[in-house]
Amino acid sequence: MAAGGSEVILSIRDVSKSFPGVKALDRVSIDVRRGIVHGIVGENGAGKSTLMKILSGVYQKDGGTIEFDGAHVEHTSPHESMQSGLAIIYQELNLVNTMSVGENVFLGRFKEMKGMRGTHAKARELLDSIGCKVPTTRLVADLSVSEKQMVEICKALSFSSKLIIMDEPSSSLTGEEMAQLVTIIRQLKEKGISIIYISHKLDEIFQFCDVVSVMRDGRVVDTKAVAEFTRNELISKMVGRTIENEYPPRPHSVGDVVMEVRSINTHKLHDVSFTLHKGEILGLVGLVGAGRTEIVRAIYGADKARGHEVLLGGKPVVIRTPRHAKELGIGLIPEDRKLQGLVLIFSVESNISMGSIRKFSRFGFIRRSLEKGIGARQVEALSIKTPSARTGVSNLSGGNQQKVIVGRWMEISPQIFIMDEPTRGIDVGAKYEIYLLMKRIVEAGGSIILISSELPEVLNMSNRVLTVFEGRITGEFDPEKTPVDEIMKAALGLEGGAA
Amino acid sequence: MAEIALRMGKNPVARAAEVLFRDYLVLVMIAVLVAITAIVEPKFLTERNLTNIIRQFGPLMMVSLGMTFVILGNFIDLSVAGIMNLVAVVAISLIGPWGQVPALLMGLAIGAGCGALNAAAILTSGALTQAEALFLTFGMSTVFSAFALLYSGGVTQHFWETKASKAMFETIGSGTVVGPISASFVIFLVVLVILWVFQTKTTEGRAISLTGGNKTAARLSGIRIKRSIFVIYVVCGLMTALGAIILFSRTTTATPVLGAGFETNAILAVVVGGTTLRGGKGSVLRTVMGVLLLILMSNCLDLIGVSTYLQVVTKGAILILAIWLDNRKQV
Repeated sequence: MAAGGSEVILSIRDVSKSFPGVKALDRVSIDVRRGIVHGIVGENGAGKSTLMKILSGVYQKDGGTIEFDGAHVEHTSPHESMQSGLAIIYQELNLVNTMSVGENVFLGRFKEMKGMRGTHAKARELLDSIGCKVPTTRLVADLSVSEKQMVEICKALSFSSKLIIMDEPSSSLTGEEMAQLVTIIRQLKEKGISIIYISHKLDEIFQFCDVVSVMRDGRVVDTKAVAEFTRNELISKMVGRTIENEYPPRPHSVGDVVMEVRSINTHKLHDVSFTLHKGEILGLVGLVGAGRTEIVRAIYGADKARGHEVLLGGKPVVIRTPRHAKELGIGLIPEDRKLQGLVLIFSVESNISMGSIRKFSRFGFIRRSLEKGIGARQVEALSIKTPSARTGVSNLSGGNQQKVIVGRWMEISPQIFIMDEPTRGIDVGAKYEIYLLMKRIVEAGGSIILISSELPEVLNMSNRVLTVFEGRITGEFDPEKTPVDEIMKAALGLEGGAA
Repeated sequence: MAEIALRMGKNPVARAAEVLFRDYLVLVMIAVLVAITAIVEPKFLTERNLTNIIRQFGPLMMVSLGMTFVILGNFIDLSVAGIMNLVAVVAISLIGPWGQVPALLMGLAIGAGCGALNAAAILTSGALTQAEALFLTFGMSTVFSAFALLYSGGVTQHFWETKASKAMFETIGSGTVVGPISASFVIFLVVLVILWVFQTKTTEGRAISLTGGNKTAARLSGIRIKRSIFVIYVVCGLMTALGAIILFSRTTTATPVLGAGFETNAILAVVVGGTTLRGGKGSVLRTVMGVLLLILMSNCLDLIGVSTYLQVVTKGAILILAIWLDNRKQV
């Protein structure tokens, strides 16, 4: 292995884990060296999270050995692993929102810190050590996601951790916050702390990981220094097949205006106006919180907005509720799949059919045979991977869950599709399938408004891009002809632009 | 996925046992309760005691069936006690001046109206959480009860006070149809079938479950969640009114406090039956089991001679057990 120190801090040898019927981990071996950033990539279901859960003591391994810091490890609880110097920062951060930053760092250890004064003083020290300026008395609920992450990192440091595992830490960070995280990761490295960095985002892997292990189907298929991998090689190792492009070619048959929006104003939006054409993918680019989601929610009737005009095919309409929007041929894939998109306790079939209840009912009575047909049709059409249409949707992977929501709308084929972060937290293979679906929609004459925090995605998929900054549209660009930094400047509010 | 695989891997008997204990624990409890009581107290299985049980469960059954829809929709209704009070005192007082059928209809209309008021209060205040609904309906309950007290002047009313015919109410209360099968039992069966069809076979029933499962997702995919909220409270009000009518028909008296305690018992029955407080999952059939368990339990404990105070403790324990089980299922 080329990069990193020589000393192995964590040695995973032939670790296996089976759940009846599923071999989740198959003789996995990974060595993590001191003071390096070790990336682990793999599609959902590749075994990354099972491995992490074994390391943290949530699951027990069936076979193999784990050595951490020179000692055999048989962790039986997350607390025990934390004490031994192995910390995990989960994607959904584990902080108490109603308590202060300092209290969260030393939760349950106030006595050891000699009371609250000691707690806050020590927390301050830790925060300073990673260059975080948040007051220790501030409530965690008032922090941004990246600040919360820093609190988690401090919590890990407070146990004098030697290894910190970060599970998809960047999934809800903006570019700027990401840069800050990178700085912190570098600082941790300098202190000799090792980091296991789990991510779907290949850019990040190439940007600051030293070594990367690729997992697929419960096995480690390759471990190499990052420099020795090419991007395409990494992707094909992850998905087990060659993907020529990350994005399908952009469709080009843009037609007449299908929707015109004139001056949306809310407390967050100021005079937002734009047009959408038939067969077009229109990208909205901006920081998280810039107002992208608010724009589409206002159009969709999900939020109250006043005074704006929406013209569909030249005719003015007033959209008061999502139901009304649906009837007018607008569909929304909301940004938070689990909280806003799915009814998690229901089956795949019910989650697909819930958008088209009218289609399978007569006189208010449900006709199950028709509903089954709808479910089966979309599962088939979108190749949703599920044991059956009656399976609970919560058992599906993120990508397949997203397809369920897409399928819900495909069933009523709306003219205008609003997709808010359609590929958040799903793996490369599934992303590509979503892109193909988007292409299929526009080729069939539909139009898409695409919001995404992944700039390459918006730029590669859209025919036209609008930049949003602090509730205003600051620019309109052709992503094929405009340099990326020009679009970024407009999205950051640095200068206006028009194409 | 792993958890599922874990479950599927077991042998069929173990799996069936697990499903039985996890999803149908209430059935197991009913069976155990009946078996033990029948052995300890032979009086339990006498015809007289069994008909007694069937008579007893009518009012609580009706209220609980209505409550099922509210909880399915991820809301809660504490106003059923107030609705019962108001419906009972108004309906019984109208038998004399209006005749029995108009009195009955008026009772049902008041129930539905009170439910509509609950829904209106929730929708206009924008309360979309169970906790908010809890306080709002608690407030409404005191309002309904106050009206019941004002209307009746706090006086207990009796059937014998009016000379008008009240044969229909007497049949509802203590009449039989065939052999030992009581009229209230027949009403229960009819209502159960209607509600079961409504819950499982109609679009509105589906909309209620979807609303309960995830209000935001339901709304964003074009389901009229406001209508669902309105419907669940009206259904609950209507069923509560029916419960009140069956209750005063049996006791032949109506006091302005006759509904006290029904709200907690109904919620208890629904949750013990296995309808989750988180909304979306559950069934009127489960509620039937829940009510049966509660009624059987109090009957058994009565027969054995356990004090009423201790019985309250067992109810509480069962509720905690039910919620504990429900939470385990979610994980």
